[in-house]
Amino acid sequence: MNCDLYRSEMYAWRPGSDEKTFQPLFDHLDSCAECARFFEHLTASDERVGRTFQSYPQSPFLESRILSRLAHQRAQATARRPGRRVWMLAPAFVALLIVFFVWAAPWLQLARVNREMAILLSKPPALEINSTDRERLLEWSASQLQGSPTLPAELDKVEFRGAAAISVAAHRAVLLKMENEERASLVVVDAPLTQDNLFHSMHEGSGSASLWSDGRRSYVLLFNGTDQELQAYMTRMGIIA
Amino acid sequence: MHISDQTFDDWVRQYQRLLFGIAYWWTGSRTDAEELTQEAFFQAYRSRSSLREIEAVKGWLVGILRHCYAQMYRKGHSRIEISLDEVMERSGDTMDLRSDGTDPHDSLALRQALERLDERHRLPLVLFYFQELSYREIAEALELPLGTVMSRLSRARQLLHETLATPGALTLVKKIRKVNGI
Repeated sequence: MNCDLYRSEMYAWRPGSDEKTFQPLFDHLDSCAECARFFEHLTASDERVGRTFQSYPQSPFLESRILSRLAHQRAQATARRPGRRVWMLAPAFVALLIVFFVWAAPWLQLARVNREMAILLSKPPALEINSTDRERLLEWSASQLQGSPTLPAELDKVEFRGAAAISVAAHRAVLLKMENEERASLVVVDAPLTQDNLFHSMHEGSGSASLWSDGRRSYVLLFNGTDQELQAYMTRMGIIA
Repeated sequence: MHISDQTFDDWVRQYQRLLFGIAYWWTGSRTDAEELTQEAFFQAYRSRSSLREIEAVKGWLVGILRHCYAQMYRKGHSRIEISLDEVMERSGDTMDLRSDGTDPHDSLALRQALERLDERHRLPLVLFYFQELSYREIAEALELPLGTVMSRLSRARQLLHETLATPGALTLVKKIRKVNGI
């Protein structure tokens, strides 16, 4: 290897470099005075360059500028965070709202039916058809509703004297006045307003009511009297045991 | 990795001078160096979760500084050639030997020599001399293979020494000395 190649290798060397790698270079320096002088000059020059690199302008306010801008950024981020949290909670809030309405829907519907029954008790509609012919009344009722004119078996003993078409909870319905009890009426609604055929009692100032369903239609027995009187009437007519 | 604001602020105090020095020798401008250092810390703060090991913070910060440097010069900044007047204005009051024993003329000559180097040689060279980072640390900060860093550094050192040794390289310094009656 000639001196030029060794000199280029000197630029790859730095204090602390692997001795084994640079052993050929140091062997050459031991035998070549000119390269040894060059290496000595290079090392001294390197040290001077290193020192010169450490002499650069100062920036006394840089640290405080960086820290104050960081603090400002953090303050802005903190101010924005609550808004972001609200947005993040929005889907959960909507889901909660949906669950609430699904869960509360039967209760809300029952409350609405209750209000409408209270109105029917205090202000009954005028009859549209007067007849004691059960078959005829049921045929007429079926024409106002949809489907068969049959009533559930528990109403087999009940006779009617007239009917009127009404609306309950936005569903088509008919109100049938009882023949054997002036105070009683039956409302047949073309929708299942309640989940099952259990009798739900409703009490209002003008009277009482009992709601049940056959799964397709809902039936409400209105009674201008106390709950006990309604229960006695229903028992007497075989509606309940 | 979670890094608290307090820890990050400590890093600012500990490393701002280092980053500023590197940026100064990279850009040759105090203003650009300040801008770069600030931007590097802001970007580091935003991406602090990307730091894998606390021990690697110095190399990580230098790497971000290098990204900021690349961004700055992509956006249209260019290394401004320092005019004689500017050099005199900057250095006119510090032409005597400094308290640390360094010669301000050496600084000017070094800055001029660095300006003559292209970026691929200047960036590792500054890290090599200024902070005495190991080849591996330089390679990580510059995202270059170790062999590439070693060959570039070797070539860069050669070019630097040749430039500093060339009489023409110090013409500017001589002119300043003459103006200052040295």
